[in-house]
Amino acid sequence: MRPATPWPHRRAWIVLTLWLAGMLAGGALIARTGFSTDLSAFLPARPDARQRVLIEQLQNGVAARTLLVGIDGGDAAQRAQASRTLAAALSDSGRFDQVQNGDRSPGSGEWAAAGTWLVEHRYQLSPAVTPERFSVSGLRDAIDETLSLLGTPAGNAVKPLLERDPTGEMQRIAESLIPASAPRSEEGVWVARTAPRALLLLTTHAAGADLDGQADTVAQVERAFAPLAAQGLTLQLSGAPVFAVHSRAQIEQEAIQLALVGSLVMGGLLLLAFASLPALAVALLPVATGIVAGIAAVSVGFGTVHGFTLAFGSTLIGEAVDYAIYYLIQARGAAAPGGGWQRWLKDNWPTVRLGLLTSVCGFAALAFSGFPGLAQLGVFSMAGLTGAALATRFVLPVLVPDGAAGRGLRQSMGRWAGAVLRRLPRLRVAFFLLGAAALLLLATRSEPLWRGSLSSLSPVPPAALALAEQLRADLGADTARTLVVATGADPQAALRAAEAAGQRLDALVAQGLLAGYESPARLLPSVATQRARQAALPEAAELRERLLQATAGGPLKPARLEPFIAEVQQARGMTPVERAALDGNPLASAVDALMLPRRDGGWSALIALQPGPTELGAERLRAALEGLGGLEVVDIGLELNSLYGSYLQEAFLQALLGAAAVLLLLALSLRSLPRLFAVCLPLALAVLLTLAGLALLDVALGILHLVGLLLVVAVGSNYALFFDQIQNTPAHDAAAVPALVSDDTLASLLLANLTTVASFGLIALSDIPALSAIGRVVAPGALLALLLAAACSRPLRLERAA
Amino acid sequence: MHPVVERRRCLHRLVQVGAWLALGAPGVASAAGPVFELPELMALLARQRSGEARFTELRHVQGLDQPLEASGTLSFAAPDRFSRQTLKPRPESMVVEGNTLTIQRSGRSRSFALDATPELVALVEAVRGTLTGNAQTLTRYFRTTLAGSADKWTLDLVPADSRLAGQVRSVRIAGQQGALYSIEMLLVGGDRSVMSIEPLPASASASAPVRP
Repeated sequence: MRPATPWPHRRAWIVLTLWLAGMLAGGALIARTGFSTDLSAFLPARPDARQRVLIEQLQNGVAARTLLVGIDGGDAAQRAQASRTLAAALSDSGRFDQVQNGDRSPGSGEWAAAGTWLVEHRYQLSPAVTPERFSVSGLRDAIDETLSLLGTPAGNAVKPLLERDPTGEMQRIAESLIPASAPRSEEGVWVARTAPRALLLLTTHAAGADLDGQADTVAQVERAFAPLAAQGLTLQLSGAPVFAVHSRAQIEQEAIQLALVGSLVMGGLLLLAFASLPALAVALLPVATGIVAGIAAVSVGFGTVHGFTLAFGSTLIGEAVDYAIYYLIQARGAAAPGGGWQRWLKDNWPTVRLGLLTSVCGFAALAFSGFPGLAQLGVFSMAGLTGAALATRFVLPVLVPDGAAGRGLRQSMGRWAGAVLRRLPRLRVAFFLLGAAALLLLATRSEPLWRGSLSSLSPVPPAALALAEQLRADLGADTARTLVVATGADPQAALRAAEAAGQRLDALVAQGLLAGYESPARLLPSVATQRARQAALPEAAELRERLLQATAGGPLKPARLEPFIAEVQQARGMTPVERAALDGNPLASAVDALMLPRRDGGWSALIALQPGPTELGAERLRAALEGLGGLEVVDIGLELNSLYGSYLQEAFLQALLGAAAVLLLLALSLRSLPRLFAVCLPLALAVLLTLAGLALLDVALGILHLVGLLLVVAVGSNYALFFDQIQNTPAHDAAAVPALVSDDTLASLLLANLTTVASFGLIALSDIPALSAIGRVVAPGALLALLLAAACSRPLRLERAA
Repeated sequence: MHPVVERRRCLHRLVQVGAWLALGAPGVASAAGPVFELPELMALLARQRSGEARFTELRHVQGLDQPLEASGTLSFAAPDRFSRQTLKPRPESMVVEGNTLTIQRSGRSRSFALDATPELVALVEAVRGTLTGNAQTLTRYFRTTLAGSADKWTLDLVPADSRLAGQVRSVRIAGQQGALYSIEMLLVGGDRSVMSIEPLPASASASAPVRP
């Protein structure tokens, strides 16, 4: 560094120290930050009642904790044996609330205990227990029904209990608990109908949102399977936990990969342009500053940083490096050595600053989004770009006062850039015609352009989704599409609401409109219901008397029914069962899956509906439940789509606000309507042509495409402003160093554009749909923005001074 | 029945009895003519594509004072549907179609996947396999023993599947030509049910809707 005067020297040290301190503080902050990759980023921060149910289900519902396991290879007996071995190993691991493989061999003592418990509490649990059922005619009818099963193979289950349970309450309980769509069973375990495959269904103990726990659990299954894999069997593992864990790994891996490849490509471009390692190192400083500032800001604002934000952050490399490129090239050619930065500050910084402000305006709109994912992107980009620009403005002048020393290919680059960009104005009419055609195309499209769905954001590959679909169909474990959610201040209130809903749903089942439903009130009726059932039971003497009449002339001697009378008498005095009574019972997890504590201290009881032959819409369900309190009908698919719809709508509004803010800012700083128009025209055209291109390729546009368009405006405004600057530079200045300014500015613009297009081009190739969506919009959009900005400028001003 | 056939059957019976008496040993009936084998029975049964019948069932249950009696109608349509509508003493219905079993009792209706319970599959296939004349299905789930002739046969089925064998000891189906006369089931606990079947005329089955 050349000798400096004492004051600037000291000032340089202050700047560097401050910058270093800032970077260290940011680094320390980042080191303490938690990183997340769950769905939370794409869920609303302030949900309404239905959305809350949805979010609870997505994050912690039983579907989010269900692992679907298939065992392929070998013969049926081998697979069955493997299924038992795996089930035993997983049950012992303690990581699962439920391990089910359909095994009904007598070895499973736990379930025998569950059966005993059900028998013991049958008069509290059976929905059939009413005073009428214990009248003479009710008893006769119930006994006849039970007898009608005797002498058939089904009677084998009834006969051992006949003297204790002649009215068949256990039959009624079993009937309500057996699912209509059970998996196929072979060799005593569940098997697939579509492939030679044994099946298991696991419910993880770890919550759906606990990704570390889920990752451990998935690893546990893989470990437990290893000895079986050695026998030539293969494991097919699927389900929401697997997707979540793999997505996280994928996002992490891609974030690193993109950052690495992005840096390499960028470095290569910069080396080509400057042929100087120091220049490269300096150019990367603002980038590093921007990334640290971005992550630190998100960390402060949100507590955690989403992996998606990080992966997106690598695109910032392409944008942040632009500032360094502008500086390194534009600060060159100073009249006096060491004064280049001063001229840059005077001539170019205002343009860069205005470009920065417009970008920040655009992203500020996102920062206020109700969806943490978008808000993080907004904050990250604002802080990152500001950090990069400030580092360029303050740190680079200290380190390289006269810009980059090396010349590399820059001179020829400037010539090519000049040759291309100077010819472009002649094509402007063609561009305008293209723009008009694009407008026409977009206006006359019959299919909606913005029809992306939430699933389009999912990074899960289609093959994995297909496997999950197949396993789920074979297991009969279709995730319930429609839920009725009964809420209450405490579990009892929620159960009472669920019971009230159940009565209306029973009517729908009887009409054949519903195949059935699952309710926690079946296994755990409310205390009120249990008391009412107990009150329906007659006293021993009375029951004996009624039985005498009810069995008269029948094949069953009343004398045999003394055990029944004794147990009914006993049931009259039992304490109603509550959740604690199920502790240590495998039935507990079945109840827990459907009973969820709410954040507000209340409870939700979920009723999962099994659709009948025709889908019953949420509206008809709501009508059927009319007048009952504490109930919400949630159609998960519909709700997710409406969630995405509102998400998209909000993003549109924010993009519009952002665009309006950009316009206002430009108007205020340019203070000239023609100049404002000249700056905005290429941007609008770039957005229009990009949209038309996407429409031609029939891409279903979603929120991230919108974010991409916002980025096109943010990046493109820099180019447009530079062309505005070139054309509006006072003549005397241009006369001083005419050729150099033009060519080098054009070279810097071209290089900045190349790095941007390269970094977004890389992201366009990502396997994460959310990232590739952004890349596929910004890469062509940014290129178009530069070309159009050149094309729209007045040709004369671009002419090279002879 | 055709008088000629009737006469010939009587003659046949006489010859059989005579031979049996003459030789004083069982098992020689086969000498009287070609042995009636399972494929022949199956071919006879397979001719009947659908049908409807009335049934009366008597179930002898250990520990009950009297046998339980039930009656109603059976119907069958190849390849995989059959139903049993009990009319007395309580209306009940059981319909098997493909892999789905639907039971209606006391105003409640429930459907189940058959293959979720293999012993149920075996039991259903005993009936379905006999009605459609599907030897492959029958021999997959049961050890079969056929006795008699085309005009009076009995088919004994003993479950091969251990699960079903834990509940059902044997099923004996008796019939004449392509028609079933009775189904007798012996359960493991000693309970026994005998179902007598009386085919309804074809016109009745044609008029009765096979599918609900």
